[in-house]
Amino acid sequence: MLDITKAKDRNASYPLLLIELEKEGDKLKLKEPTLSILFFIPAAIFLIAFFIYPIVLLVVDSFYQYDINKLNVKEFVGLSNYIKALTSDRFIKTTANTVLYVVLAVGIEFILGIILALLLSTGFRGSNIIRTLLLSPLMLAPLVAGLIWKFMLSDQFGIVNWTLYNIGILSDPHKVLWLSDERYSLISCAIADIWLTTPFMMLVLLAGIQGISKDLYEAAKIDGASRSQTFWFVTLPSLIPVATTAIIIRVIDAARSFDIIWVLTQGGPNFSSEILSTYMYKQLARYGRIGSASAMAVIFMIMLLAVSALFMKKIWNPNKEVN
Amino acid sequence: MDKRVNAKLEFNRLMEYPIAITTCLLALFFLSPYIYLLITSFKPATEVIASPPRLLPTIFSLENYRGMIEYLPIGKYFINSLIAAGISMFISVFLGSMAAYGFSRFSSNIGNYFLLFTLAVRIVPLISMAIPIYTVIKNINLVDTKLALILVYTAINIPFVIWMMIGFFDGIPKELDESARVDGCGRLSAFIRIILPISLPGLATTAIFSFMLSWNDFLFALLLTSTSSKTVPVGISEFLTAYNLDLGPMASAAIVFSMPVMLFSFLIQRYIVSGMTLGAVKG
Repeated sequence: MLDITKAKDRNASYPLLLIELEKEGDKLKLKEPTLSILFFIPAAIFLIAFFIYPIVLLVVDSFYQYDINKLNVKEFVGLSNYIKALTSDRFIKTTANTVLYVVLAVGIEFILGIILALLLSTGFRGSNIIRTLLLSPLMLAPLVAGLIWKFMLSDQFGIVNWTLYNIGILSDPHKVLWLSDERYSLISCAIADIWLTTPFMMLVLLAGIQGISKDLYEAAKIDGASRSQTFWFVTLPSLIPVATTAIIIRVIDAARSFDIIWVLTQGGPNFSSEILSTYMYKQLARYGRIGSASAMAVIFMIMLLAVSALFMKKIWNPNKEVN
Repeated sequence: MDKRVNAKLEFNRLMEYPIAITTCLLALFFLSPYIYLLITSFKPATEVIASPPRLLPTIFSLENYRGMIEYLPIGKYFINSLIAAGISMFISVFLGSMAAYGFSRFSSNIGNYFLLFTLAVRIVPLISMAIPIYTVIKNINLVDTKLALILVYTAINIPFVIWMMIGFFDGIPKELDESARVDGCGRLSAFIRIILPISLPGLATTAIFSFMLSWNDFLFALLLTSTSSKTVPVGISEFLTAYNLDLGPMASAAIVFSMPVMLFSFLIQRYIVSGMTLGAVKG
């Protein structure tokens, strides 16, 4: 609705103005679909050229034998790239690693994030400063996070092993080869990821906690609920939508992470920390197999879409107001 | 009743210190890796790889920073990073907010589908995009150019900008554009002259985020550049393939690369909070 008082200030002869606006209104209605297209067409052209077209190309390429060094030679091979990927041990192991990495990283991030969020939500004196401090690494490049942990987890001069040795957990400071032992390499990569993104988890959960209506707590108090009861029956259930969204965002981002693993282990040793992103990168950049890399990328995309759809279905409430 | 409330308050006050101390310790634990990197960058090269490691350097040394400049054309990499992230930020913020304004003010079916598509884009793993984009860039002969990075970053940032800006535009009353129209502005000039200036805080937040997305990118820069247009992350990663002795300069480069971001995000953390929680809490 038009605010007449404001319009009146702008123009003294407002009856005239109203007539004009009515006319404008009619014109606008007629023009709306065209106008809307005009506004998003530049962005759309960009996205079509550098997003939609590449994705179409990806799907098409996945049906071809296609080498990076001979870009004009394409041989149609049907589903063979897909069959090869799905039956190859490396691809299956890499997928399993990816799942393990995501579950490990996001699981621990969530637990740490919720602990920090709950602590900060008590609002003790100085909690704002600590929150600010915890937030500052949020915009740090994953590459830098990888580098930091490369220093700290080094088996020769890394501070992690020496600290564990000094407090008596390790008998020998060179005992745990974080990055070059097949048993630990994936965990080491997850540690870097957890370190980098727990603040994000904390931030979103904190916002969620602060968004819970005070009335709910009042009601719980009147009913005589204890602290732990309030937590289990008020805080946690109210947090579910926010937590699910935070988890889905993190699951997608952790599944597609590349930088941290590339910097820490490049997927090694013996493919023990290989995840889908690093594996596909190698397929493309080292072996130049566009066709098979594309097929794997399509499978990867479908997997992520399926996971997101599953999550969305869980949190999607059809009774919720739709804008 | 009153007594119980008082007892509860007292209990809270008693708990305040343990909670504060626990949180402080956790926060310190979280910040220490970055602080350790900062300290490492000021160690003499021999102490970087000393075993056992020392927490603090014996002498404060700029050796690693000198090494960083000697080993790498780091200045050039910085300029490349700035150009790629900066230009793509301007294009994506302008085109993205224009589209967002269109979505916010008019409704059309094509628009709704397009909006849904921009949301779906977040699910696409970047490596999947990188494979076809590599062939596209190679086919148009743009491998190892800053233009290639600018185009790719712009495309990646546009959906993000659209989603950020729709929220801001929806918050601006429609009466404002209507009165601008009355004053004789066209739709586009009303958008540029009235709506964009009002949404400046939102635009700034969005711009910072989209700048960071490109500034921190490693995958596309690694894949699409080889000599003349390498960005800082690619430069830093090159230390890894060389000898361990280069770890000191690498730490310095990482500090120089990330320090502005750390300080900056510290200053604007209020906006970061609203930006980061926007999608999650509203959804």
